[in-house]
Amino acid sequence: MKELLDQISCCIEFGKINNQSPYPPDMKGKDGADELTLKALNEGLNAGDILNMALIKGMEQVGDKFRKNKIFVPQVLMSAKAMGAAMAHLKPFFSSGDVKRKGTCIIGTVQGDLHDIGKNLVAMMVEGNGYEVINLGTDVGADRFLEESEKYPEAVVALSALLTTTMVNMETIVKTLKDKNPGVKVCIGGAPVTQDFCDRISADLYSPDPQGLVEYLNQLHTTNAAN
Amino acid sequence: MNCMQYTIRPGEINIDIKMVARVMGFDPGDIPDPFDELIRNELELIATYDDIKGGYRIFRHAKPNLSAKTIAANGIVFNPGKQIMRFLQDAEMFAFFMCTAGETISNRIKEKMNASLQVEAYVTDYIGSLLADAAMDVVHQHLAGDMKKQGLKVTNRYSPGYCNWNVDEQHKLFKLFPEGFCGIRISGSALMQPVKSVSGIIGIGTKVRFDKYVCNACSNVNCNYRNIKHSV
Repeated sequence: MKELLDQISCCIEFGKINNQSPYPPDMKGKDGADELTLKALNEGLNAGDILNMALIKGMEQVGDKFRKNKIFVPQVLMSAKAMGAAMAHLKPFFSSGDVKRKGTCIIGTVQGDLHDIGKNLVAMMVEGNGYEVINLGTDVGADRFLEESEKYPEAVVALSALLTTTMVNMETIVKTLKDKNPGVKVCIGGAPVTQDFCDRISADLYSPDPQGLVEYLNQLHTTNAAN
Repeated sequence: MNCMQYTIRPGEINIDIKMVARVMGFDPGDIPDPFDELIRNELELIATYDDIKGGYRIFRHAKPNLSAKTIAANGIVFNPGKQIMRFLQDAEMFAFFMCTAGETISNRIKEKMNASLQVEAYVTDYIGSLLADAAMDVVHQHLAGDMKKQGLKVTNRYSPGYCNWNVDEQHKLFKLFPEGFCGIRISGSALMQPVKSVSGIIGIGTKVRFDKYVCNACSNVNCNYRNIKHSV
């Protein structure tokens, strides 16, 4: 059982989607996250164990290596694809409630800004670490974030901006969300964003990389689970 | 307005697979599938693009104000910041420029993103950025050639949003050009459309110089383009 979970974890870490996928070259012709996850379920492995002991474990490695510049965006995207292939088999277990996600994260690029590659990368990393992600897309205003936050009051909201001109819109969004729900946690990121700016607009977290957001979500998850 | 505008032929564009691989973080001699094929396909498509455009407008009477660290052109005052002003301080005149990789590639990125083809969208997006920059290299070379005939040299180019030059100043820059110049528009948040477009300033004069490596001047140490050799 452990061997199979380790194999799935390895597929996530190195971005091996399925048998047909030529990537990574040294795993060519081998089964990928797709086939191995199905195999694990067919052999009676618990879907929650597959998620926690294989998929999340693999994705944690990806986040760590990306932070240390050991891998770059293309490799992360391949890992996310492998993760997506495995998750497709676990979807019925999420729907039935047999497997629970760790929490929910609402993510979007703020009003006026159309950059979405970085934001999507963060969304994939968060999802790969066991969270439900509601991706609102780009050019998202305060009202839209509020609307979704009211639907999921426990969800953490993550804002992205790639321009100094749009970064300022984060302040309005943070204020709108916190005025309505003071307990809501709002995280910010993007090229021009800094810790100083985060402090100034009273956001809860600034992270320069996706892993920082994942670690913050995990901390909240642990604290909530303990209470 | 005395603006120069060029439609850049794909044959003039200098981007090769090794360059793309390098900025993506791959060993140029060992690009794994599917990236090798994706990059090759995108590069081949460049030959079909007919909407790559760029141009500039020269302001012969624009002068840098060294104490205020500003440049005024046509009554519009720019604040490029201390860092950029250091490189432009010897300029006797300035060219403001705009350049776009065009709607075609920008739309391709959007289509792939909408189809959730993240890997494909990423490759196209990256090549779009390189294409805009390579197209601007061509425009920069045209400018350098024209100036050389007059015994003048050009500096590197600098853009709002980089080296602490506020990206919002792009709005001022657009006021120096006729509406729709090169087919480029600007949003309220200073986002250019087509998305793969660049704008900025180049210094001109007898005492200015072009540096092949200017990355040490930039604080963005994570930039993938860092330390790529530039030439005009």
